[in-house]
Amino acid sequence: MNEELDSQLSAMFDDELPAAQCELLARRLSRDEELRARWSRYAAISATIRAEGGARLNAELARRVSVAISSEPPVVAEPALAPARPSSRWLGSRLWAPIGGVALAASVAASAILWVRFDAAPADSQVIAQAAPGVTVGQSADGGSLADTPASYVVPKTIARRSIVPSTQLANYVVAHSEFSSPVNRRTLLSALMASESGTAGVPSGSEEPTEDVNDDAKSPQ
Amino acid sequence: MSADVSDLSLVRRVQSGDKGAFDALVRKYQHKLVKLVMRYVRNPAEAEDIAQEAFIKAYRALPQFRGDSAFYTWLYRIAINTAKNAVVSRDRSPIEYNIDRNNDANEESYDMQGRMKDSETPEGLVLTDEIRRTVNAAIEALPEDLKTAIVLRELDGLSYEEIAAAMDCPVGTVRSRIFRAREAIDRRLREVFEGGLGRTEDLG
Repeated sequence: MNEELDSQLSAMFDDELPAAQCELLARRLSRDEELRARWSRYAAISATIRAEGGARLNAELARRVSVAISSEPPVVAEPALAPARPSSRWLGSRLWAPIGGVALAASVAASAILWVRFDAAPADSQVIAQAAPGVTVGQSADGGSLADTPASYVVPKTIARRSIVPSTQLANYVVAHSEFSSPVNRRTLLSALMASESGTAGVPSGSEEPTEDVNDDAKSPQ
Repeated sequence: MSADVSDLSLVRRVQSGDKGAFDALVRKYQHKLVKLVMRYVRNPAEAEDIAQEAFIKAYRALPQFRGDSAFYTWLYRIAINTAKNAVVSRDRSPIEYNIDRNNDANEESYDMQGRMKDSETPEGLVLTDEIRRTVNAAIEALPEDLKTAIVLRELDGLSYEEIAAAMDCPVGTVRSRIFRAREAIDRRLREVFEGGLGRTEDLG
């Protein structure tokens, strides 16, 4: 046996051999039974010095494993998960993605604003028309000119905000489906609805809220 | 020196379909793994069975091994899990549960189950004992510098560089001393086998 080779084997056993030499020796070790027997004795010496008492040094474990492995198909490493080089198309989509997202969000917001304004416009006109029926600008109620009538102040009416879903309908919906929501959430939502009602339709803020009934519904079996 | 480079070179060979390289890994770590498993089971034969199962599982899982951790660390985890599962399944079995209590009656039932391994034969035990005595005697007979180098390496787990610093000599000298110490011990060890107590391949 080549002494230099044995010296390298000893260093490789201690993980002290340079990688390039390790590659070459690993190839030889896997093919040379005599070299592997020496490798085994190095392991037995190591186990003895370290007092690895549990291990029987003449154990046939390696042979048993070798027999079991012989019936196994050879392992083939899965391809390494190397980071794929991004294509220019992929890179372009990555750059445009945030801009596209912002544009989409902006268009949705604009559509929502326009829809709400369009939906609210007739109601506002109706309120104004009801507040001053038959009164036109520059003409008094009795048909005289503004110059003949004393100055008066017109208190502008509060324009009622119309929500997308009428609050009463929403409240009814929440009450009807109370079994699917927690009491705290129901109370919060209904309080918000009542508050919005008080601000727009003149409902007193101190009015009795229907939340107690809702809670009772939640407690009672449906 | 980067750690685990020798194991990785063997692992890469196994991953390219070389089963002989896996045999080298098994031979290197079999004692260590059996000792590890014996923290969970006291019976050496059972520990070897579990270690064998762990090695086979490791072989099957090697395609997924990327080398993110050291090979032995990865193998260690497989062995621990295998041992824990074995203990759980054994505890569910009345016979195996009794064996764990380790009294005479249960050892008898163990034999009746035909689970006695060849490695538990008196010849096997004598050989193991002879190997230990031979190695220890060979170490005692080593020149002081060789003995210090091999003990610092094997017992204290120091790297060649650390041993070189401790012994105030070049790393190359440390490598040479450790190699010569191993060769001296190995020469005595081969005599044991060639003397008829066993075969070299019995070392696994």
